[in-house]
Amino acid sequence: MSRGSNAGFDRHITIFSPEGRLYQVEYAFKAISQSGLTSVGIRGSDCTVVVTQKKVPDKLLDSSTVTNMFKLTPHIGCVMTGHNADSRSQVHRARVEAGEWKYKFGYDITADVLCRRLADISQVYTQNAEMRPLGCCMILVAIDPQLGPVLYKCDPAGYYCGFRATAVGAKQTEANSFLEKKLKKKPVLDLDKTVQLAISCLSTVLAIDFKAHELEIGIVTKDKPKFRTLTDAEIEAHLVAIAERE
Amino acid sequence: MEKHFTDSRVKGVSTGTTILAAVFDGGVVIGSDSRASIGGDYVSSKAINKLIQVHDRIFSCIAGSLADAQAVTKAAKFQLSFHSIQMENPPLVIAAASVLKELCYNNKDELQAGFITAGWDKKKGPQVYVVSLGGMLIRQPVMIAGSGSTYIYGYVDAKYKVNMTREECLQFATNALALAMGRDNVSGGVVNLVVITEAGVEHIVIPGDKLPRFSDE
Repeated sequence: MSRGSNAGFDRHITIFSPEGRLYQVEYAFKAISQSGLTSVGIRGSDCTVVVTQKKVPDKLLDSSTVTNMFKLTPHIGCVMTGHNADSRSQVHRARVEAGEWKYKFGYDITADVLCRRLADISQVYTQNAEMRPLGCCMILVAIDPQLGPVLYKCDPAGYYCGFRATAVGAKQTEANSFLEKKLKKKPVLDLDKTVQLAISCLSTVLAIDFKAHELEIGIVTKDKPKFRTLTDAEIEAHLVAIAERE
Repeated sequence: MEKHFTDSRVKGVSTGTTILAAVFDGGVVIGSDSRASIGGDYVSSKAINKLIQVHDRIFSCIAGSLADAQAVTKAAKFQLSFHSIQMENPPLVIAAASVLKELCYNNKDELQAGFITAGWDKKKGPQVYVVSLGGMLIRQPVMIAGSGSTYIYGYVDAKYKVNMTREECLQFATNALALAMGRDNVSGGVVNLVVITEAGVEHIVIPGDKLPRFSDE
């Protein structure tokens, strides 16, 4: 039977298995959890926030050079979860796509279009035998000029979607359940509430009491639509506010 | 060189122009006239913008063929924005000037455009660079270019001083442009000035009737 000739290869390159699965893509998702980090993104009423853990495993490492938050355009930021090198490759590609769009069409690319473009590129990797999918997941944040605050995620399968809140990484299932519960009543979240909800999500799910230097937080707000990361002092202020509430 | 005899119908709209940039204490003033002409006969636009913002604190003023200059500045803007995102820092003025220079030098056979790039960066403060037609790049404290500049070399040499105040520099730039526009038939319209400092960018437009008058008028 012709099935015999495909035996074993469906796990090695991105071709279909007899059950209709793409094993390489599934392995790519497992690779995202390998890094051991979890990231959370939440869309507030006038802002979007992404938070990720900052784990510096080696005491000799200069922690100021370690980051998973990247600026793709002045107005679109992202947090990468998963394989470090793949993350940088995808960020670079995103920056190139955004720059070329601006050059060709004369206006800034929007987050949804950029996300779609990256998802389309990821999809090509799931069809090409010579290239593997990237082992990383990107959460994009921006203030869209028409839609307001937006949050998008694109994964190695080439799937992308807009979210009210989402989590990626080692503890994404638990984090997603936490977020579902908290957003069930559709609360109105201002910047402080959004940041604090994101931090609480991570600390609850990971059972860690964070210090300011163990977190990276990136925000975009309606009055300051340029993507920026919070300083240690600002993160500390939020942590204090969370502690006072409890 | 053959370039000077390029037919204006081939090159289309050209900016016979006057552009200048000057460093003062704490910033830089960049300015131009606003006339676009075809050959020496017809004013195709009375109020075009020759001061292109290539990044937050860096402007370029264009001289030569308008089409060439717009294409080059568009490419430069793209390269600079990408460079700046990658570096996670605003670009240096010399980076902007170098990008323009590379484009001018590598395409010197097809292009006919020169630039004065001026801006402010954290490393060297206010700077002025000129990229000439063939792709030469040099830095100077004050620079004038364009067809109208020939009439004001004397004025600039005599009146420019290092470390002027902002007001003195603005007056100097306005006078220089007004004098050039007064004598050069392909320069005219309004005076467009941009003041770039660490704090930000300020646009000043001086319409023709508000320009300084000199003894001959």
